[in-house]
Amino acid sequence: MIIVIDGINQHKFKDVLDEMFKLRARVFGDRLGWEVNIQDGREFDQFDSLNPAHVVSINDEGDVVGCMRLLQTTGPHMLADVFSSILDGEPPIRSAQVWEATRFCVDTKRLGRGRGKNSVSYVTSEVMIGSFEYAQEAGVLDSVAVIDPVMNRVLQRSGNAPYDYVGTAKPMGKVVAMAALMDCSDERIQSIREYSSIDYDVFLTDDQALELFNSGQQAKLAQAGAANLDHQPLTDLEKYFVEQMHAATTKEEVQAVLKLIESLSDRFTPEQKTALLQTPRAFAHEA
Amino acid sequence: MKLIDLATIDHDERSAYDIINSVCNELGFDYASYATTHPVNGDVQGYANYPDEWKIHYATQGYHHLDPTLYQSALSIAPVDWGRFNHDDKFNAVFRDAHDFGITDRGLTVPVRGPYGETGLLSVTKDCTDEEWKKLKKHVMGDLQMAAVHAHDTVMQSGLLAKALYLPTLSSREKEILQWVAEGKSQQDIGDILCISHRTVEVHMRSGREKLGALTTAQAIGRAIGLGLIYPG
Repeated sequence: MIIVIDGINQHKFKDVLDEMFKLRARVFGDRLGWEVNIQDGREFDQFDSLNPAHVVSINDEGDVVGCMRLLQTTGPHMLADVFSSILDGEPPIRSAQVWEATRFCVDTKRLGRGRGKNSVSYVTSEVMIGSFEYAQEAGVLDSVAVIDPVMNRVLQRSGNAPYDYVGTAKPMGKVVAMAALMDCSDERIQSIREYSSIDYDVFLTDDQALELFNSGQQAKLAQAGAANLDHQPLTDLEKYFVEQMHAATTKEEVQAVLKLIESLSDRFTPEQKTALLQTPRAFAHEA
Repeated sequence: MKLIDLATIDHDERSAYDIINSVCNELGFDYASYATTHPVNGDVQGYANYPDEWKIHYATQGYHHLDPTLYQSALSIAPVDWGRFNHDDKFNAVFRDAHDFGITDRGLTVPVRGPYGETGLLSVTKDCTDEEWKKLKKHVMGDLQMAAVHAHDTVMQSGLLAKALYLPTLSSREKEILQWVAEGKSQQDIGDILCISHRTVEVHMRSGREKLGALTTAQAIGRAIGLGLIYPG
């Protein structure tokens, strides 16, 4: 399900946004190798300070599994600035009825293949439906989206092929980046809905989104707690982290351990990681 | 932070004021306004075709300091229906008063981001049923978006904001005297009130008039009120 987080309601969704910035760090920093600014395992840039609208997908388990960032093309936006190379030196589109979509991603680690719920294709479609319907209600007719070729193929396959591109694809980290044009029309939304079999209203209210997210967080905490109660044998790596955290005496040392856990996060299951991050934090408070 | 009616310093033929008027006439809204925050001094400036009594009340109450249709809407990229402020005490405070002036709390604000990160806000109101409102929004939102950018660009390109930055700097004596004139006092009265000669009153009044580029005292009072330098009597 989709929640739109903008400058007006963002104070309620600090934790959701935090998860979203972590997802973006994994996708754009780790997987795509873009030169993005990652701090503390979170990817955040200057455009996030301009009160963009974040279209965020939260799954039934309360996880943030997809997101997209929308900005008006009348004001500062990425194609006018950091992605200007894609436009081959041409000035960017500027129109009240065109929005720019950037940082569009889904959690490929958590999501699988196929078309069912918890598939890459499903969440991609849900984010797209959410953003197009949100744009449509705002009187916006088209969007220009900065995407990579993998996302481009996902779009083409899911009844949502871009109708054109502006500029040319340019190398960006491990892949190339391109600017795709998509209309925010009833036809396109209908086509995505048919492909993905999403026939319901995708939007959550603020309260519903908070409830879904928080129940997921609580379930994870309970699970982490249960894992500890079970006294399951820890791997050597986990033991090492717990020891390091015990030994940490300054804030900097605690941060260094957390950073190491984050950077080695490929080696754990998401549950293990949550447990690890939670457990040492408890120790850290004592230190 | 002042509230400035740009109509008082705007002498162009086609201005944002015409745009907000045509928004009402052509798209079917009761009232419209355009506002932007000055990037340098933070003044709220713009145009509104609300009745003068409401404009004056709004300014004297200092509602531009708290009105969420200005501050909250600027945080969104999409048009903000004022229904979103239903539970906002500040909104209710402003629009309880608006109601007494025959102005509805049914409205929306279209935020425009400009190239330098500045924000312009086009607001419209219409007293109608839920059903009509929903239909109207769906029908005109694209036109409103275009009108909002048009109004914003017109103001930004007009150099009005630069003019507004070089607002006449009136001394406190000049403002004080113009304020008393606005209250209906004669030069002699003002001299007596302030314990200065009527000649001194005349000197300051003349200086104030010239700074405001006004030919008559009445014109000077009008401009000074529009620029937020004095309050209406």
